Amino acid sequence: MSQPHIGGRMKKLWILITIVVIASFALYACDTQAPETPEEEPVAEETTSEEMEEEETEEMEEEEEEEAEVEEPSEKVQIRWFVGLGAGSDEPTFEPQNAFVERFNASQDEIELVIEIVDNDVAYDTLATQIAAGNAPDIVGPVGIRGRDSFKGAWMDLTPLIEANDYDLSDFDPNMVQFYQVQEEGQLGIPFAIFPSFVIYNKDLFDEAGAPYPPTEYGEPYVDQNGEEKPWNIETLTELAKFLTVDANGNDATMDEFDTENIVQFGWMNQWTDPRGIGTFFGAGSLVDENGDAQVPEHWQEAWKWTYDGWWEDWFIPNGVYGGADFLQGPGGPFSSGNMAMVHLHLWYVAPWALGDVPFDWGLAATPAYEGTVTSKMHADTFGILKGSDHPEEAFQVLTYMLSEEHANELLTIYGGMPARLSLQGDYFDQYEETNFPDKDINWDVVVDSMAYADKPNHESWMPSFQETTDRYNEFWNKLANTPDLDVDEEIEILIQDLQIIFEAAEEIE
Amino acid sequence: MALVEGIRNLRKNKPKIRKKMSKREKKEARWGLLFLSPWMIGFLAFYLLPMIASFVFSLYDFNPAVPDEATFIGFANWRRALFEDQEVKKSFIRTIHFTAISLPITLGFALFVALLMNSKRVIGKNLYRTLFYMPTMIPVVAVVLIWSGVLNEQTGWINIFIENLTGIQATGTEGIRWLANPQLVYYAYTMFGLWGIGNAMIIFLAGLQGVPTELYEAAEIDGANWLTKLTKITLPLITPVIFYQLVLGLIYSLQYFLAPFVLNSGTGFPEGKTRFYMVYFYKQSFTFFNMGYGATLAWLMFIVALIVTIILFGTARYWVYYEAEDLQ
Repeated sequence: MSQPHIGGRMKKLWILITIVVIASFALYACDTQAPETPEEEPVAEETTSEEMEEEETEEMEEEEEEEAEVEEPSEKVQIRWFVGLGAGSDEPTFEPQNAFVERFNASQDEIELVIEIVDNDVAYDTLATQIAAGNAPDIVGPVGIRGRDSFKGAWMDLTPLIEANDYDLSDFDPNMVQFYQVQEEGQLGIPFAIFPSFVIYNKDLFDEAGAPYPPTEYGEPYVDQNGEEKPWNIETLTELAKFLTVDANGNDATMDEFDTENIVQFGWMNQWTDPRGIGTFFGAGSLVDENGDAQVPEHWQEAWKWTYDGWWEDWFIPNGVYGGADFLQGPGGPFSSGNMAMVHLHLWYVAPWALGDVPFDWGLAATPAYEGTVTSKMHADTFGILKGSDHPEEAFQVLTYMLSEEHANELLTIYGGMPARLSLQGDYFDQYEETNFPDKDINWDVVVDSMAYADKPNHESWMPSFQETTDRYNEFWNKLANTPDLDVDEEIEILIQDLQIIFEAAEEIE
Repeated sequence: MALVEGIRNLRKNKPKIRKKMSKREKKEARWGLLFLSPWMIGFLAFYLLPMIASFVFSLYDFNPAVPDEATFIGFANWRRALFEDQEVKKSFIRTIHFTAISLPITLGFALFVALLMNSKRVIGKNLYRTLFYMPTMIPVVAVVLIWSGVLNEQTGWINIFIENLTGIQATGTEGIRWLANPQLVYYAYTMFGLWGIGNAMIIFLAGLQGVPTELYEAAEIDGANWLTKLTKITLPLITPVIFYQLVLGLIYSLQYFLAPFVLNSGTGFPEGKTRFYMVYFYKQSFTFFNMGYGATLAWLMFIVALIVTIILFGTARYWVYYEAEDLQ
């Protein structure tokens, strides 16, 4: 008796499964059709006009045109734009970036630009996965040197496209164009935004200490509180920074009674940079010598020792312990906390997110010289096309639109960079100040002048095993920042040996 | 050898003619397979195939950023991991070092709390059980960040508490630097883990409550004190639970990754001490994009974990008590 009963149940179950499967297909079908509905509206109109065909032939012609318009989206070449390796993954930038894409899509009928904004923390992994899966985006950017070199070998040489399209590069500083030429890989980018570096200082802390402000022109001396003129160099900076470093009792770092355990205000910091950036403060250089071997240039070693002494002997730079202290936390890191007198940073920092709401007055000053030479390290962003792009021609069209005289400013306003196009540099800062700091009078000449002291080679340039090398020297730097009484020379020697091993391993792989 | 002999015997004794399945049995088998199929498909798609793929990757020099340049290099990655790359050995030793510190402390503390929670003399046990279990509901990332604040050398309340209690300077550059001192960092990380003992405590508690009370009653009649009862009755009878926790704890420790990654992005700070094996694996695979080499490291860890587990199971017969075996 039970057998037919089970059979009946099975039958019901099969029917149920069949219904569910059919329903799923139906729902899926409905779902895929749904977005097309608005585009189908003109087709419905066409049906109506067909009924009136005999009477209104002109209308029919219009309908045919409309139909052609409706079909266009499917013929458009889709170009994917990946944002996340540099600026552009902060929430406030989403809307203006999307608006830029909409404007582009409305401007022409051959390409559909699709933006993919990925959080910077996961952007590297995401892009690598997409490339590996054969699903690479076409355009990536804005991307700096670090981001570019993290994907070494993945970028397309733009030279053939530049030549084929007669793209005019005369509006760019030739040095900046060369900045994106990589040996054996070609022209990997066209200049878009540049970010010179300079000193940013807290005017309130200077006023409180009775110290005159640092010079705003290169070559100008520093005039101290006693009216004495001093060359604006590392020695003067050190002296000034110590004077502006203060403990809880109000003593500064030049005094014997200064309490190193209770510092409440620091005088100096090379904020948000790595050992290569700090080395470059004393002059341009590289961890790779002309033979491809590991090295640390002499002046970099001096810069590192100067920083180490600033951490653990002279106490005017926050070391690893003070780095995490509450009084140095601000939306823009230590400087925006209001307890840091001077920092050396790039133009991207002079933006509302870092300095917009700070409760103190600030100004820009010249980078000091080391042994008579000024080096103001440079950051530069561009957009690159990946080798995996299926539509390089169309991607190049989008790229030229982004970098064009007419549209580059729209993106530069979003990302906060100085235009690489010479023709756009003229009134850029006036517009920028009016938009972002309407109540301030900023001396932008320092920024423009700093360009002349850009580091060559750039401090973010390629090294063998880029990420692994970066990892190793950061470990070295962390150790220095957190450990007093080290023999820095010995640590540098160990670093060079370790880097040599990494470089040799990279050479073997290649 | 015994295993091989056993398989041979089974083969010998296997009936030569297979019994033909009835229509109903076939139908049932079909249904059985149908219901099993989601798991089987899931296992194939998400476990077996990726494992095979990762083994294939391990034979390639494969950078996902330039997949076209992937080259077959045979066992070069394996040779590098086993004989050339010193960081593999170092990171493995660090992992073992950390495990040797954290595992006994974590398991010991969980057992201690479970014993307290099982005691008749503790008032408000349910409340305490809840309180001890609650931190396990907090995401590990949040736990790590909270503890990094608690252990902050400048403002962390542990250092402030120590300083106020003992007068020893615990804050500042001369203070106790839990997360920056290479000698202290493993103990600091172990402290994070102690917050998450809730699960282990519950399992120990279940084991403790499974110990027959008549054994304690008999021991009390014989004049046994609490230590004798603990060492002669409680601990031997909960050895299966201890064994289970040990296996899980060991495998978890070998895979230790999250805390060092959240705290210092896997830089190994301080002085490389927190570059554990899995951190190094992550760095190679997803930071340096040496995906082929990363796959090799993953397979090496799988093999090590397998060997360790087999050894643990091999030792079980000497110290783990199973009541069922006694009855046979």
